Amino acid sequence: MEVNPRNKAAAVILNVSLLAFIAFVIYILYINQEVLYTAHDRSEFFIGASYFHTLVSKPFGLMQYAGAWITQLFYYPALGALVLMGLWTLIFLAGTKAFQLQGEASALMLLPVACLLASVVEVGYRIYISPFAGYWFSQSLGYLVMLLCLWAARCTPRRWHLVWYLLAFCAYPVLGWFAMLFVLCLALLGKPTWRELLGIILLIFAAHIWRVLLYSGLNAEDVMLAGWPRFATAHDSGTHLSIPFQVLAAVSVLIPLCSRYLSRWFVPMICAAAGIIFTMSLMFQDRNYIDEMRMVRYAADDDWERVLHVAADTPKPTVTMVMLRNIAMMNEGGLLERSFKLGNNGGEVNTPDSLHVRLLNIASPLVYYNYGMMNEAIRLAYENAIRTGFSPFYLKMLSRCAHASGDVKLEERYNTLLHHHLFYGDWQPAPVSETVQELQHSFPDELTGTENSDSYIVNSISLWYESDSKVASEQALFYAMMRRDSRRFWQSLRKYVRLHPDGKFPLHAQEAYIMFMDKSPEEKRLMLPVEQAVYERYKQFWETLERQARSNQQLDKIGETMREDWGGTYWWYNIFGRKIY
Amino acid sequence: MTFPRFLLLAAALLFLSSCTHHPDVPASSHEAECLPAIYPDYCNVTVPCNIAPLNFMLPAGDFEECVARFTLPDGRQQTYGDGVKVQIPEAEWHAMLNLSKGKSLRVEVWGKTKGEWLSFNPFEILVAQEPIDEYLTYRLIEPSYAGWSFMEIAQRNLTSFDETQVFNNEIACDDRAKGQCINCHSYQNYKTDNMLFHVRLSNGGTVIVNDGKVSKVDLKRDYTISAGAYPAWHPTAKLVAFAACMTRQAFHTAHPNKIEVFDLASDLILYDVATDSVSIISNDSTLLEVYPTWSPDGKYLYYCKTVPLPEELRDKDIISTYRKVQYNLYRRPFDLATHSFGDEELVYDAASHDKSATLPRVSPDGRYLLFAQGQYGCFHIRHSDGDIACMPLDGQALPSVDLTNLNSEGFAESYPTWSSNGHWIMCSSRRGDGNFTHVYFSYFKDGKAAKAFLLPQEDPESDTFRLKCYNRPEFMIEPVRISIKEFSQVLQ
Repeated sequence: MEVNPRNKAAAVILNVSLLAFIAFVIYILYINQEVLYTAHDRSEFFIGASYFHTLVSKPFGLMQYAGAWITQLFYYPALGALVLMGLWTLIFLAGTKAFQLQGEASALMLLPVACLLASVVEVGYRIYISPFAGYWFSQSLGYLVMLLCLWAARCTPRRWHLVWYLLAFCAYPVLGWFAMLFVLCLALLGKPTWRELLGIILLIFAAHIWRVLLYSGLNAEDVMLAGWPRFATAHDSGTHLSIPFQVLAAVSVLIPLCSRYLSRWFVPMICAAAGIIFTMSLMFQDRNYIDEMRMVRYAADDDWERVLHVAADTPKPTVTMVMLRNIAMMNEGGLLERSFKLGNNGGEVNTPDSLHVRLLNIASPLVYYNYGMMNEAIRLAYENAIRTGFSPFYLKMLSRCAHASGDVKLEERYNTLLHHHLFYGDWQPAPVSETVQELQHSFPDELTGTENSDSYIVNSISLWYESDSKVASEQALFYAMMRRDSRRFWQSLRKYVRLHPDGKFPLHAQEAYIMFMDKSPEEKRLMLPVEQAVYERYKQFWETLERQARSNQQLDKIGETMREDWGGTYWWYNIFGRKIY
Repeated sequence: MTFPRFLLLAAALLFLSSCTHHPDVPASSHEAECLPAIYPDYCNVTVPCNIAPLNFMLPAGDFEECVARFTLPDGRQQTYGDGVKVQIPEAEWHAMLNLSKGKSLRVEVWGKTKGEWLSFNPFEILVAQEPIDEYLTYRLIEPSYAGWSFMEIAQRNLTSFDETQVFNNEIACDDRAKGQCINCHSYQNYKTDNMLFHVRLSNGGTVIVNDGKVSKVDLKRDYTISAGAYPAWHPTAKLVAFAACMTRQAFHTAHPNKIEVFDLASDLILYDVATDSVSIISNDSTLLEVYPTWSPDGKYLYYCKTVPLPEELRDKDIISTYRKVQYNLYRRPFDLATHSFGDEELVYDAASHDKSATLPRVSPDGRYLLFAQGQYGCFHIRHSDGDIACMPLDGQALPSVDLTNLNSEGFAESYPTWSSNGHWIMCSSRRGDGNFTHVYFSYFKDGKAAKAFLLPQEDPESDTFRLKCYNRPEFMIEPVRISIKEFSQVLQ
């Protein structure tokens, strides 16, 4: 039989569009693999009845539990991505059956897949602050089950739809908002009859009835919006993150209404393009976001070389990146020789809304642990885990802190929890490094308030100048320089020189020394020899600065102008660096 | 296979899987010559005759299997064990307890490690004649610092493993930015017709149940420094004594205690439920009064009060003086007819022993006074030296009752309570891992306390997975019958 050339061309267009979209999905998941790893690292999941009951006591909890279990697979991002793509393939196939899409119209199912893909890659910095119990998979699972139900319902005679409406009502505790979507899609598939009307009525009252029947101990909103991802924090609504789900619902409702008009050759191209554009427009794209995740991962593994490698390629680091890089230099050496060359001008994270995420949320326990400040590391691990879940990241940190503090029973408990994770069966905390051990005993105990600011750590360490630890004296000197605090600089320099009698006078310390000798008002200074070349450069820096200042430019502008030649010096940081510390 | 056959097979499998595993005792084994390292440690404990099964396990990392053989006083035996866990069906356990009242169960434990069975020294579980109160309430909360998320007040049936929610902090929280904290559940005379708990922040207030009717009140008056905290119901009248405190917390940068909780100011107030009136019991501005509790006859109010700080420290802030703040135990007679208090009497001069005594509780027979004791401060659950102490109320000036069996070495104990029959002491303790508080019970008779045991759980491993503290455990003789929804309605 001869194939109609027009049909053949349409089939080619369909297949090419599908392939292009698949390639796009693979590419997007590939460039977001660090996000996927972090998704597992910051997702709570426990084996056992207690966690299961906690989730299942809320509608949609079973899907969340299943989603949380599968999220463990993101330990290997490719493995998790493969499962995700498998789910989306099933969604595509089940959708074409459920909505009875044939030929070119089947490409319409790319749109729900694009929504689900966008929901994964749009999360951004919320990954650190929202409790995502199973989020990464539960929506895809819920939608797949909804489509399978719809497919099954369409395979049964119309007079049986009433049974399906009742089933959807019964399935509300499992499917949450997808049960409602199911009823809506089924009701819209044909000309409305009294059965469809009954379905709609059930849909309207389902959540309320279930609240009375089963969920009277829950907040009404949690029952009414069961399974609908909400990203609100105490200070931020995050409504734009719901867009993929709103579009998913709208597309699912529109497909049964419009599919018969959409069997056109160009539909696959439009669907693929729309899916790509939609995903790209919502995807959170920021280089620091990904690099920061890599640095956190490497730092958690004590892989300081790789932390420095990422830092070397980062022209405008965030505060977290600066802190992790300086810890890497503390461990690998060269903090006072290279730190300002690489830049200590840590910036805020780039978020598209009012979301306020910072070092505290991203890596504070890790930073405090590496500075030997175990009580703060434990406190912040708890503060964060209580809000976002006891995920592997926090359990590992808590185990390491317990190990460093000698709390054997507590360490065993955290390890037991981790050992039930699919890929942490043999996990043990790394030995406490000599640096951490030394720092742990280099500061006195005192009482503080809830010090959660980024500046607290800088301020605390700059006070370590009374310690007899060599590592602590270097850190105290460095952070006194970071604070631009000449009083603490002289105190810590004295201690540093005493504890490093044969050491070289590090470059950045020389720079700070010359500057504070020249500009700060303290009388009790310390006389040390400096390199003539460094002194000459200081004079040049100051001459340049005075010349620029005469041009009546604003300070920011002058800083930018001088960054290229002087950005790697302590002097530039002291004058132009952001005053976040 | 036909569908009915499939269903039949599935049902049979389900039935079989639900059957208890009664394994055979190992035919041969090596003697370990020590007691088994079971968790929880139930070796040689004394338990109430109505307690839930004492399920336990051997360490999963060291053993592959565990078998336990229970021998009743009449010689009958039964074995249990599934993997490393020993979980006894409730009905079988209660039958064993009934047959062992006033006597003991002998328990032999075998553990399989590296393919070989070890037999441990047998131990006994003494079954007391005296039952324990059937219910227990606690707040479940993470070992928090400044932040919290979900929290609940839960009630547990001590004769089974049933745990239900009394209230949670989500259902009536309208303002998520503010959040909501719930705390200080308290009952009159171990019964739940008259009870209360506090709700702070969003929709805050004190939820009071008065003869089964729920209402919300605001205990803050313009003449009190705060709303009420640490409530104590009068045993017969509709009166509740509270502390009114300005409580703060601070964090150690290096000390293993990690947190200090202290009051900047605290007074005692009396709330009359019938008239919704608040009166001051004591409000010495130079001293801190806290933790009121009534004698069982309602004729005395016991409480804690600080001793004056040395002259040189009086103008210093709490951060520099907190280690010097010590509380003594006092009491004042109470006239129910006039609602008036008599003169203060010193009950225990803890400070003269360089100690600080808090959270007093008088035994139901009025003969003993339990309290928490540490070196300083009012929040011993955060102090690793915090222990429970007990003094006879027969004129002695010292806590002479030996509670070595109740206290742990190096871990905090606090919040002691008596059961309604006075034979069971309950306290919360961090002895499990130093961080999470759990509930422990100890049999008390003739001035002697038996070895404490952990609140039993259906799955002995569940405490490992439940990252919550059991906060403020309180006995009840009946469950709270008011639903969460009813409570929430008075808040919204």
